[in-house]
Amino acid sequence: MKIRNIILLTLLVALFLGCAGREPTPGVTDSEILIGNIQDLSGPMKELGMALPHGSNLYFNYINGKGGIHGRKIKMVIEDHQYNPQKAVAAAKKLVEQNQVFCFYQVIGTSPCEALRPTLEEYEIPLIAPATQSGTMSDRSRRGWKYIFHTDTGYDKQANILVDYAYEQNGDAKVGVIYQDDDYGANVLKGIAEAEERHGITVQKEAYQRGATDFAGQVMNLLKGGTTHVIIGGVVREPIIVMKTAAAMSYAPQFLGISPTMDHRVVLGAGKEGEGFIVANFAQLYNSDAEGAKLYRELFENSGTDPKVMGMYNFYGFMTAMVLVEGLERAGKRLTRARLIRAMEGFKNWDGMGVFPGISYGPSDRAGTESVVLVANRGGTQQIISDWIE
Amino acid sequence: MTETFGGLTQEVVSGIALGCIYALIALGFTLIYKATEVVNFAQGELMMVGAYVNFFFVSALLEVPLLNGVWAFIIALVGAVAFAVLFGAFLDLIINRPLKDEPVFSVIMATISLAIILRAVMAVIAGPMTRIPPSPFGSSVITFGGVAISTLDMFIILSAVVLVMVFYFFFNRTKWGIAMKATSEDPMAAHLVGIPVKKVYRNVWIFSMVVATIGGVLLAPRTLLDTHMGFLGLKAFPAAVLGGFGSIPGAIVGGVIMGVIETVSMGTLSFHFPWVKEINDIIVWIVLIAVLMIRPAGILGHEEVDRV
Repeated sequence: MKIRNIILLTLLVALFLGCAGREPTPGVTDSEILIGNIQDLSGPMKELGMALPHGSNLYFNYINGKGGIHGRKIKMVIEDHQYNPQKAVAAAKKLVEQNQVFCFYQVIGTSPCEALRPTLEEYEIPLIAPATQSGTMSDRSRRGWKYIFHTDTGYDKQANILVDYAYEQNGDAKVGVIYQDDDYGANVLKGIAEAEERHGITVQKEAYQRGATDFAGQVMNLLKGGTTHVIIGGVVREPIIVMKTAAAMSYAPQFLGISPTMDHRVVLGAGKEGEGFIVANFAQLYNSDAEGAKLYRELFENSGTDPKVMGMYNFYGFMTAMVLVEGLERAGKRLTRARLIRAMEGFKNWDGMGVFPGISYGPSDRAGTESVVLVANRGGTQQIISDWIE
Repeated sequence: MTETFGGLTQEVVSGIALGCIYALIALGFTLIYKATEVVNFAQGELMMVGAYVNFFFVSALLEVPLLNGVWAFIIALVGAVAFAVLFGAFLDLIINRPLKDEPVFSVIMATISLAIILRAVMAVIAGPMTRIPPSPFGSSVITFGGVAISTLDMFIILSAVVLVMVFYFFFNRTKWGIAMKATSEDPMAAHLVGIPVKKVYRNVWIFSMVVATIGGVLLAPRTLLDTHMGFLGLKAFPAAVLGGFGSIPGAIVGGVIMGVIETVSMGTLSFHFPWVKEINDIIVWIVLIAVLMIRPAGILGHEEVDRV
């Protein structure tokens, strides 16, 4: 009887200790993993706020349909920050405290992501695949760096590569850049400064305010400066207006674009003035032969979505969902935030069914990819014209 | 030197086109203010709504077989203006009439709310994607003396000048225009002398919406169509103040001055004095404050003297 009591007591203590050691992970149940996404649903980048999560959900639904990750289905909660960093912080706190999300995923915009750093530190919560190509996302000198896993090649790296490309094409090239006067532009300028030092040159710099609708002054300055290659750090409207303005002034430099200018509407909107526009991109195109791209097209067509939604931003959501799913798979059945971080650090040249050049992280490395392909507008269609360039 | 002069001329021409866009929006501000003494902060959004309605018409009509492209644009413009007339009357009904005896502050708040509502509703109707509206003028450019200007910009300048002339003539030479001015001065006295005040208010909202629609139709191919294009109204407002709030020629004078300053400071000034880039945002405001210090009513505004 006494032995029986001792065994029973031992079992109870073991059970108690076991329970105490396995405090439930927020956002994770036996059947579900809850992730938090903060998008711009009603601000200046709202069109991406619709396209990105739709692409992500295409892949999440596909994985959920196959039984989920270790038996758990992924559910994504989306908040709106209207591209306002303060609202992004408020939304993040709500997602953590009220919704109890497991991790953040794909928060859009450089400034909102930068604003989240203290929150990531405070709650020790990872942010996987922030939807910005700013190289600052993988900067280890910044707060909360170890919680951010950046997938994309930074704007600074892209700008560097584009300057190199200009000099490969023309040894006497004179390079100029038109950049947005914010965090996005600051990261582009960082890459430009590195390229200036390497080549011993001075790049002509022209700034514009977000939302600008007229670029005559900047284009005229580039013309006066005799620039032969102009790098445009814009999104959709800016490259269209810049190229049309230049054409109106009979000024025809080689225009080069940072990856957000790869939107197919730039090709449509710029018309013949956009012919030959070359853009750096950190992944294969959605209409390429990469296995991941084929799967995307197949799932998209089966979803019955308006075909107009198909494109680079929708595919971007899809690709980054692949990164998160891979990390969650690797983290194993006993999912915790610390385990996800360790699992992500184990990525070594993972190419997401041929879509990425190879994503690698490590205990002190948060930059996923470091390469780009160059995509040129040829007769109204976008064609890859280079291998992966580092 | 010649190169600098050539560049400066180009910037001035581009600045005039940009300024005329501000002028078209500022004209809308002025019209409503002139007749009702209310500042309509939704003017930029009215322009956005007009541009979208025209875009919907153009897109639908271009699909119609056998319909010539030019006719599609003309019919779409007529349709958009017809919509503007109805929508202007509707706004008078829901904003102006219920609030006409309320403090100006309440009416201003109502127009700010209207701006937010219009942006949200249009985002729901049109979807979140930035649209690329076709231009009836394509990408054609006219060059004279080495200075280039797109046909679209030429039309923007022409439209701003014509509309300012039409409304200047209307307010100073026609019975209805003078009735509107009288209503603005003293609605009660205007009512007592037989001016149909309600009709005056309705017409001025209709005029304002029509001007906004024409501005939006011309502006959309230049800036692309987006629910945030209404924020240009925030730049047109200081243009209206600079020219003299309530002055019709002041709208175009203020708009053009702002447009030229913006383009030249971004261009030649920044090129020769790189530090100008750092203060580009505030140059226009510095000029505005400087002008208001010398002429508080704006360049073409009239100072009001209250007799005691």
